[in-house]
Amino acid sequence: MSYLVASVAGVAFFVMSVALLGIWPGRVLEEQSRAMAPERPLGLTLSERRGREVYGREGCAYCHTQQIRYVHADVMRFGAPTLAWETRLDYPHLWGTRRIGPDVARAGSTRSEDWHYTHLYAPRSVVPDSVMPSYASLFDGSPNRPRQSARDLVAYLESLGRAREIAGPEGETRARAGCNCPDDEMAQMAFTSPLLNANPARTRRGAESPVLAPDADESRGRRLYAANCASCHGPRGAGDGAGAAALVPKPADLSEHEYSTARLSDALWNGVTGTAMQAWRDHSTADLAALARVVRGFHTPQATTLPENLVGLGQRVYAANCVQCHGVEGRGDGTAAAELPMAPTNFRVQRPSLGLSLRVMRNGVEGTRMASWAGRLSEAELLAVASYVRGFFEPDDVPAGGRPQ
Amino acid sequence: MHEGAEAEAPRVETRLVYLHGLAALGTLLVSVTFGIIVATQLLVPDLGAGVPWLSWGRLRYAHTQGIMLGWLGNAFLAFLYHAVPLLTGRQVTSARLGMWLFGLWNFAVMAPGWILVLAGVSQPLEWAEFPMVIDAFVVVGLLLAAVQFLPPFFTRGLEYLYVSSWYIIGGLVFTLLAYPMGNFVPEFVPGAAGAAFSGLWIHDAVGLFVTPMALTILYFVIPAATRRPIYSHFLSMLGFWLLFFVYPLNGTHHYVFSVIPMEAQITAIVASSVLGVDVIIVVANLLLSLRGAGVFPRDPGLRFVAMSTIFYLVVSLQGSLQAQMAINQAVHFSDWVIGHSHLAMLGFATFAAAGGLVHAWQRIPWARYNARAINWAYWLLLAGVIVMVAVLTVGGIVEARLWQSEAPWLDSVRAARPFWLHRALSAVPIAAGFIALLLGLTTGPRGAGLAVVDESVGLDPVREVAPRLAAATGDAS
Repeated sequence: MSYLVASVAGVAFFVMSVALLGIWPGRVLEEQSRAMAPERPLGLTLSERRGREVYGREGCAYCHTQQIRYVHADVMRFGAPTLAWETRLDYPHLWGTRRIGPDVARAGSTRSEDWHYTHLYAPRSVVPDSVMPSYASLFDGSPNRPRQSARDLVAYLESLGRAREIAGPEGETRARAGCNCPDDEMAQMAFTSPLLNANPARTRRGAESPVLAPDADESRGRRLYAANCASCHGPRGAGDGAGAAALVPKPADLSEHEYSTARLSDALWNGVTGTAMQAWRDHSTADLAALARVVRGFHTPQATTLPENLVGLGQRVYAANCVQCHGVEGRGDGTAAAELPMAPTNFRVQRPSLGLSLRVMRNGVEGTRMASWAGRLSEAELLAVASYVRGFFEPDDVPAGGRPQ
Repeated sequence: MHEGAEAEAPRVETRLVYLHGLAALGTLLVSVTFGIIVATQLLVPDLGAGVPWLSWGRLRYAHTQGIMLGWLGNAFLAFLYHAVPLLTGRQVTSARLGMWLFGLWNFAVMAPGWILVLAGVSQPLEWAEFPMVIDAFVVVGLLLAAVQFLPPFFTRGLEYLYVSSWYIIGGLVFTLLAYPMGNFVPEFVPGAAGAAFSGLWIHDAVGLFVTPMALTILYFVIPAATRRPIYSHFLSMLGFWLLFFVYPLNGTHHYVFSVIPMEAQITAIVASSVLGVDVIIVVANLLLSLRGAGVFPRDPGLRFVAMSTIFYLVVSLQGSLQAQMAINQAVHFSDWVIGHSHLAMLGFATFAAAGGLVHAWQRIPWARYNARAINWAYWLLLAGVIVMVAVLTVGGIVEARLWQSEAPWLDSVRAARPFWLHRALSAVPIAAGFIALLLGLTTGPRGAGLAVVDESVGLDPVREVAPRLAAATGDAS
């Protein structure tokens, strides 16, 4: 008899725990998922599914969670909390219990593909202080030769957060209606977060960026530059850092450009869409200002004078060939600009050196739609346009570092 | 009724104690090596770069599975071969079965499990990293263990069961039930719902496998070594039933502030608090039984066990604390939790397992024993654990603070570096301690352990210990 009582009691305890913490929540979550998911939620492609297996077997989940919790610190850093339906295709779940690197629940479209490959191949070539292991074995000897498993893995990373994103406002409305939880403070967090994807590395086109003070702390800027930027842009800004090798397009050669502070603010705050340049919104405005000051210091202005006749020629060639993308006034806002993966250069806010300008005209820019004009324009025309576009530049009103305008 | 313990000493399968003991120490050293490599990789991330099986994630899988199944699994089995005959007055089911279990556990679970995980065949679930094919063998192993150890308990009626016996029965039965929850279910139940089951197992692995087995040792070694019955059989049983009631309800505290229904989260948090109370009851009982022996008793097995008792209290109260939302919100995901899990597995469980192993080893008449090495092992391990846990706990708080601030993510990685350095350094005394433990049990004169136990040479451990344990159950005829 006592055997019976004891074993019934013991097993009942266990069954109760499974029912209370496993089966019942499972049913609630399933119901919730069904009610809140968009009408036709998107699954994973075959490649993404294979990438998921790579992610699992390499233990990525031990350093990167895929679960944005309903707490302020998480929402501030990564965006809206993870809803149940977003995880409904995770066999098994990859929530994780430890964060050494950031959460990746919404890592999709926050980095470019070439950045991912470079980062997986040699993490510290793009993020010097990272402690992530190298996954060079997923590559055939160099970051621009990814094996299938690396391609799959990146495809999977790009899928993270996608379902919720493409569900759009209709999806959010449906989720809110399905949730039917106007009084549930925590559930409301999932809908009222200011951003669905607050990943600070996420690039945005043309969003408001802060005004950077010209008199920022330069020594701090140098430290920040060395810790965050030199890996790609090189120690002197020449775009020749260790991480630059496999990036397409190449990191900007900062020493060959004169930038307006607004341009640097935009690039730092919003990243440069279509390139590996991420947004750096996780840094304070003071830090970004310090960085901008350092970047401006890489460039030595050069005075170039061209024969008068070439000025007129440049204008004509530009109007005939360049305005579709770079715009009539050089603002990079031509009629075709919106179609391009990377925005055409806005010459009002950045001025390339004549040498760089000429090189670009001759060779084009790999990884962008800027083609080579070498066969189509004469040497004089190339020089004329290269020089002409430099004339659009509008320096800041406030001179930085006391340099003459 | 009472003839079992006294009349004729049951045979202890010393060979199986010995084999599992050696396997435990072997798998321990391998697992610790994995641990040392991953700790070093946080400082030198390119260590082993380009060699897939040396990558951090895979070694981390191998580390935790090795510690739980290899080291603790084997050590617990070794102790069961020592304890079950003494507790029941009966032999285990079969020595032949024992060899099968030994072979299965080490050559169908541990060896292929490690090889598969390092080769990239695994499942990305915490405390369940071996792939499902290995999980099947684990379940078979647990079944064999149940067949091997449980029948002797069901011969005299439950009222004659000492508390260690209860924990053995509970541990074996519930591990068998809980194991599939974490190892199979999440493969078939997706996302958040699967995570809920995962949470159950993350806690049950510790709560229903490691803790009952470790408590078996604590409750056994303390009366056996102090030669006094346990302080209160009532408190023992209260602790036992509370544990098996409350532990399984803790699982969801690994997913506080998640989308898992708040009611489940709160249930787990309340259960975690009650768990703290339960542990206070258990530890009070154990410490009262230890009274007079000091914090560092002379008997080496008892000394490990005494420290394990203290670790158990600290780690459990810490667990209750970090399940509370206010604290969980900050320290979850940080090194604090890594410190907590090492305090549980390397502090509480390992000290219990080492104490149990030393205790059983001393009572194998032909086993080698080196008292000095054991002494070194104790102090080195104690120093290592304390440094490691302290460093990780403080590091976790620093990380948590930075995550809550507006600092860039990488600042938390940079700030963690000095803590990771000291954690890696703490591996020196820990590894040295484990090597000393291995030396302590493989060098020295044969039978030297027994000489340390008592002045009377040739003492029969079974005749000495069993009546005392029986006395503790109130069965002291």
